[in-house]
Amino acid sequence: MKEKFENKEIEEELKEIVIARLNTISPDKKISIGSVGNFRKEELIERIKKNDEIGKKIVELELAFLRAQKEGLVYNG
Amino acid sequence: MDKIAFLITRPEHDEATYYLSNWSESSIKLAELKGINVIDLHLNKANSKEVESRLNKLSPGFVVFNGHGDENTIFGHKDEPLITLGKNEKLLASKIVYSISCSSAKNLGPESVKAGAINYTGYDKDFFLVFEPEKFSRPLEDKTAKLFLSPSVLFVDSIIKGNKIKEAFDKSKNLMKDNFRLSLSVDTDSSRFLWWNIQNFKSHGDVEPSISHI
Repeated sequence: MKEKFENKEIEEELKEIVIARLNTISPDKKISIGSVGNFRKEELIERIKKNDEIGKKIVELELAFLRAQKEGLVYNG
Repeated sequence: MDKIAFLITRPEHDEATYYLSNWSESSIKLAELKGINVIDLHLNKANSKEVESRLNKLSPGFVVFNGHGDENTIFGHKDEPLITLGKNEKLLASKIVYSISCSSAKNLGPESVKAGAINYTGYDKDFFLVFEPEKFSRPLEDKTAKLFLSPSVLFVDSIIKGNKIKEAFDKSKNLMKDNFRLSLSVDTDSSRFLWWNIQNFKSHGDVEPSISHI
């Protein structure tokens, strides 16, 4: 039970990190995700808060990018 | 010797497909200059009936799909399915296929190769495109979109110029990496999305042929 609570807490913290990073994107840009649609950063942040499929995709992308940065994979191609 | 044919779909029913379509125009001009027979399925011609008919009758050696997709499907104008796994992937037999769409290289790509396609290059997860809405009326001037779309144009142009698929793929991937590095200094908004596209750019099948071998 405690472990479940901690995991949930970590998940929420990760979401907050992703949201903080998305907030740095220029308001003048739009992000197209295939047939799902085009989004401004505020819309993506809303999707993350709602935890819907789009939000999950963005969290997955951002965390994969952060992990690759940590492991030095980003700059080594 | 028969003239080589090149089929391209260019739906334009939303912002993303409008960008893809416009960024493909230079490749069409290049192919025409090279004496290639271009079958340009633009706007509502990017439908399943036209695609099936042209693939059957004209048997183009190189096929480019611009548009949306999922793991099993490539879509055309107004998201009409054009190629669906289990239905008509055999139409891609003996062809070099490039699909700039989400996820279709995941299942449809390898299964098309099993059904006889020479090669299928595309993306096995979502393809991200970042653009500047204020440039929408002049998409070729959108420097943000250029970071995402110039590698795609390079892949198509390389094939048209007669490069082997492997050479085209490597050139395109190298440009994706160059654009990613550039983004780290000029457009960090795009970096994460460019990096994602690099990870998911995949080529299935034989990479040695070029269109001159078809």
